[in-house]
Amino acid sequence: MCLGIPMQIKTIDGFLARCEAKGVERDVNLFMLQDDQVSPGDYVVVHIGYAIQKMTEQEARSAWEIYDEMLAAEHA
Amino acid sequence: MSATARQWLDDIRALPLPENIRIMNVCGGHERSITMAGLRGALPDNIELIPGPGCPVCVCPEEDVYEAIQIALHEDVILTAFGDMLRVPVNVPKDAIRSLEQAKASGADIRPVASPMESVQIAHDNPDKPVVFFATGFETTTAPVAAMLAEGTPDNLYVLLSGRLTWPAVAMLLDSEEAGFDALVAPGHVATVMGADEWQFVIDHHKMPAAVAGFTPESLLAAMYSTLRQKIEQRPFLDNCYPEVVTTGGNTSAKKHLSHVMKVVDANWRGVGIIPDSGFALTEAYAGHDARKQYPGYADTARKRAGQMPPGCDCARVVLGKIYPNECRLYGKACTPRTPIGPCMVSDEGACRIWWAGGVRESAA
Ligand code: SF4
Repeated sequence: MCLGIPMQIKTIDGFLARCEAKGVERDVNLFMLQDDQVSPGDYVVVHIGYAIQKMTEQEARSAWEIYDEMLAAEHA
Repeated sequence: MSATARQWLDDIRALPLPENIRIMNVCGGHERSITMAGLRGALPDNIELIPGPGCPVCVCPEEDVYEAIQIALHEDVILTAFGDMLRVPVNVPKDAIRSLEQAKASGADIRPVASPMESVQIAHDNPDKPVVFFATGFETTTAPVAAMLAEGTPDNLYVLLSGRLTWPAVAMLLDSEEAGFDALVAPGHVATVMGADEWQFVIDHHKMPAAVAGFTPESLLAAMYSTLRQKIEQRPFLDNCYPEVVTTGGNTSAKKHLSHVMKVVDANWRGVGIIPDSGFALTEAYAGHDARKQYPGYADTARKRAGQMPPGCDCARVVLGKIYPNECRLYGKACTPRTPIGPCMVSDEGACRIWWAGGVRESAA
């Protein structure tokens, strides 16, 4: 349950962001990042619908790649 | 396995390893990656990887699950819970309702949710009905629940809180006579929220090597390499092998919400007992959203003693890293993911379930 997934912010409305990861979109709550500057285009780690931390694009991409590999291995 | 992961494996093999070293992880996500990537088989035999207290569903007190079932059955409410909790069994006579899933089948309005925001939405959509959110989980999951309350929730939303802190369980093991491990891989997303320095006590008080890891085989192997080197050089320090998101102090606004909305209290862990300062409770300011205050009749303290693991289930010892999952006598026989006996076989983060999913079919008992 403690696994967070990197997502990219598309739009922000108050503390609610529309985020995307690999074609899947979700509403994500930004209330845990209220002390951080976040804007559309930024990458965040999302856990149970809440962004828990910012990350760089490069980190997000490499995490996706490795998670993909792991998922593929799991379903093999 | 990626080239980086293979490089880490080579680096580990090149170390002058001690005869036997036991590295504990305390996160179901870590155990999952380790098992699915086959790291146990890939590492030298003298390195033992021990799954520790990393499954919040497994340690959620039986009396809390019982309380949730009773509220759902006897009050005119909608009960929401994370999906994993629905199949967790309680210890009741044969014909009685033994899980939230069975309560739902018998007519209670119980809805699995994947996020606190869904509970808020359900409360919004049903203004005339109380919604009880059974909120279980470790710090990473409890912090969003605190954020949810801090942001403001509908008056008809109540939280049945069963949040736990991970480090006190590790502290308890380390303070015991036989901790059962020599190095620690600390949980990456707990540290993202709470800060890496929560784990500094492992080094300061116990002189044990420790490293925070992320969830990829690369990050886990980097953390293992670090703890091995610390051990060999007898120079323990808290390493951060997940610097992408983990900082020393963690997420400040998340911690601010946590300390405003919740207080830290002694708490019961299923099959383990009370661990000091290991649980969350709502503060007075949020008493109006406390399901335990709204529905006080269902906390059955007598269950605290009765409320252990199901008969024959060795989950508690699995959770504490005392035995491997397949050392339980029921593993793969009476207990499989289809017919789970204990919570460790129910939850995606339970070591028994993960090992089964990873292809371990043989009992070692
Ligand atoms: S195999 Fe089943 S009965 Fe045994 S410890 Fe795991 S969950 Fe409990």
